[in-house]
Amino acid sequence: MSRSLVWRGSLIAIAVAVALLSAYPLSEKINYGLDLQGGIHLVLQVEVEDAVRSETTKDMDRLVQELRDAGLGSASVEVTSSSGFDLRGVASDRDDEVTRVVTEYLPGWGWSRRGEEIQFKMEIANAAEIRKLAVVQAVETIRNRVDEFGVAEPIIQRQGLEGDRIVVQLPGVDDPERVKKLIKNTAFLEFRLVTFPLGGGGVGSREEIMAQYSGQLPTNVEILTGAIHDSQGAVIGQQYYAVENRPVLTGRDLRTARPGIGEFNQPVVNFYLTHEGGKLFAEATGANVGKGLAVVLDGRVVTAPNIRTRIADSGIIEGSFTRQEVEDLSTVLRSGALPAGITYLEERTVGPALGQDSIEKGLRAGVIGMALVVLTMFVVYKGTGINAIVALSLNIILIFGALAYFGATLTLPGIAGIILTIGMAVDANVLVFERIREELHHGRTVKSAVDAGFGKALSSVMDANITTLIAALFLFQFGTGPIRGFAVTLSIGILASLFTAIFVSRWIFDLILSRRRRVERLSI
Amino acid sequence: MEFFRDTHIDFMKYRKYFIVVSVVFIMVTLLAVFVHGHLNLGIDFVGGTQVTVKFHQPPVIDELREVMSKAGVEDAQIQSFGSAGENEALIRTSTVPDQEEGMQGVVLSALDQRFNAGATSDFDLNQRGSEVLSDLLFEHDPDQVRQQDEEVAHNHYDQVAESVLDIRRLSGLFDSWESLSEVSAVSAETLTVLRQNTHMGEFAVLAVESVGPQIGAELRRKGVLAIISSLIGMLIYIWFRFELRYGFGALVAVIHDVLIVLGLFALAGFEFNLTTIAGLLTLVGYSVNDTVVVFDRVRENLRRSRRERLIDVMNKSLNQTLSRTVLTSGTTLLVVGSLMFLGGDVLRSFAFILTLGVIVGTYSSIYIASPFALLWEQVFGRSAQQ
Repeated sequence: MSRSLVWRGSLIAIAVAVALLSAYPLSEKINYGLDLQGGIHLVLQVEVEDAVRSETTKDMDRLVQELRDAGLGSASVEVTSSSGFDLRGVASDRDDEVTRVVTEYLPGWGWSRRGEEIQFKMEIANAAEIRKLAVVQAVETIRNRVDEFGVAEPIIQRQGLEGDRIVVQLPGVDDPERVKKLIKNTAFLEFRLVTFPLGGGGVGSREEIMAQYSGQLPTNVEILTGAIHDSQGAVIGQQYYAVENRPVLTGRDLRTARPGIGEFNQPVVNFYLTHEGGKLFAEATGANVGKGLAVVLDGRVVTAPNIRTRIADSGIIEGSFTRQEVEDLSTVLRSGALPAGITYLEERTVGPALGQDSIEKGLRAGVIGMALVVLTMFVVYKGTGINAIVALSLNIILIFGALAYFGATLTLPGIAGIILTIGMAVDANVLVFERIREELHHGRTVKSAVDAGFGKALSSVMDANITTLIAALFLFQFGTGPIRGFAVTLSIGILASLFTAIFVSRWIFDLILSRRRRVERLSI
Repeated sequence: MEFFRDTHIDFMKYRKYFIVVSVVFIMVTLLAVFVHGHLNLGIDFVGGTQVTVKFHQPPVIDELREVMSKAGVEDAQIQSFGSAGENEALIRTSTVPDQEEGMQGVVLSALDQRFNAGATSDFDLNQRGSEVLSDLLFEHDPDQVRQQDEEVAHNHYDQVAESVLDIRRLSGLFDSWESLSEVSAVSAETLTVLRQNTHMGEFAVLAVESVGPQIGAELRRKGVLAIISSLIGMLIYIWFRFELRYGFGALVAVIHDVLIVLGLFALAGFEFNLTTIAGLLTLVGYSVNDTVVVFDRVRENLRRSRRERLIDVMNKSLNQTLSRTVLTSGTTLLVVGSLMFLGGDVLRSFAFILTLGVIVGTYSSIYIASPFALLWEQVFGRSAQQ
């Protein structure tokens, strides 16, 4: 055997060994896509304008506060857009004062005077930063929540580098509705003092409250509602509460929250406050013993118990909760509130049964298709057909090896890609074999026919495969999830077939031809 | 076995007729699609919700339609799915204003009201997840493990719940308590608790897909863009590797293939979705692949005999590559054919595109690509300018 044959043979052996090693055992090394193993794929949009708007409101309040402190008590404001507001009641000779306050307290804002009013506009870079932070923070919050849910290998990432979309992929989740609720839950928790009925609890109708305030609510009070539950936890009605506008504390002041058991053995949430929060809470509860304190979640009153004593750094939220609700509520309270609302743009949930079915059918189609191709190659090329079969088998081993090595995901269209590759991989062999036949017809010897066949077919083989590769690249660019899986297996398959058809197949020919000094006939 | 040894077919002789046939065929199919009324655009491109459900009994499509329209889902499209014994149905609705996040809730509760009205508990084993099942078992504690340690008990029931739901994960649907008694992790006491507190509903949800209108419009745009840019990519590659006339011929052949396959695909009533785009892009790759091999041979033969007329060289090259063209198309047809007949419903439309694509692509690489490359030469080529 010549040295060239030996090193080429070793190279092939190494490639196959590496592929086998990285792909074995198959079930552990190959990542199945959500469409095969079951799971949930979500695309959600962060309503970033909410975050900008809330920042605008905050800065606007700050401005009014500072202007008042500076002796401009007549200043009034009005929101004009999510990132702009108008200031009125400031005479134009006080503009210097406004400049001072804005420079000191409202960096990131620009303003210009239009007669009586001053228009404030958030600087574009500032607004962009707020939007970006909102998405980043939402990703973080969702990750915290999903981690608590105990999903193996979740994917939570921003879609693209820019933009306000987040992709969430959770393999193996079997209760999509619960997950969706958990992720979307804004969990905006507030503690607010109840102004009527003073001791806490609620009343049966809105009118009852309005009567108390003789038809006109004070500006610092609003009416909220909450559900009434029976002993089984079912909702049987609704009651009304008059509470202060301003919360004593919000979810941000929480250090942590855990599910627990209350005094009647019912599920409750135990919460623990931060140092700052604890001080504020102690102050507020200490000053209002005997009054009601409403626990408000996402604008609904969960419960409004009577403050019996000063509460310093921890407390209990009781309501009519199930154990699951208590767990989920603790999770979202711990993970922090979302900076802005969330909308689901896309949901794809596949149960494991459907995926299993797809794998079986795909496998069957692949095996039968491959058997037919093998048979055809034998019938058409007789002995040389073996060459194509070896190349085809190596091709499949290399595809799975590469899938495992690069950690690519196998999807249902990906399986289709492998099957398609089986049909197309023999194309390179066919091109070469046909060329060898032609050369033999022209009366060349076997050795020189093989040489000429490979040499002349090379450019066709390259061109044919590169065009398919170009299509696969566009497919990869376009596709999401499953489609991308198809582009991946198709591309890997094409590259592998180039290797097997040009390099491996040539080696097999040379090996056979090297056995004897002169080969008279080639079984082709 | 050798096909087509030393053939001398005059492929180019009747090229004008084949071009006319192709043009007429394209016009007829496209016309038929327009007369037929619509492209069946799937939720990927128009937005909407698609729910795949598995029933105990073979689903009656009309009954499902009635259930949906009673629930206010007026335009639901319902079809059976999978093979006959699998009792699966696919319910598709379009996007409804104020329900942009999907209609799955409405669809599922309507099905629940109709088929699970006589439910004996509020825990449907065919619809709930393993975590809540574990909680339920923990609460009733049939295996008496809670006294030892709460943590241990949670782990124990997590495993029991998993092994119970593994049955559903394999078969798609629970149909009898007997199937549960065979699971070793399920004790007799656990089975009793399950019988008392849960029930096996009439259907299970196999898949839910919901696409917002915004995403749908985006995917539509991106799909068209991907196909157009891949065509341009091919043109540039062939222009670069060969000459512009070949690029023109290949481009016309590919557009020809895509139009015919699209027309037939629409007439067959298949749904256009993301997989369709994947199929079309693969078809673009395959069609050019087939054509390029012929052109490669034309180029090689031209180099050898500069005197010969282009049309004769083309004829010779087509004959020389004929057995390769037929054989490669044959093996590819074998695999996409087995994919179409055996690969299951999800891949059927994809396999349909490729099967047609291989046939049409083979035809066009012979009768469309070379004649158009020749036409380009006759109009813009050196001989034309002299």
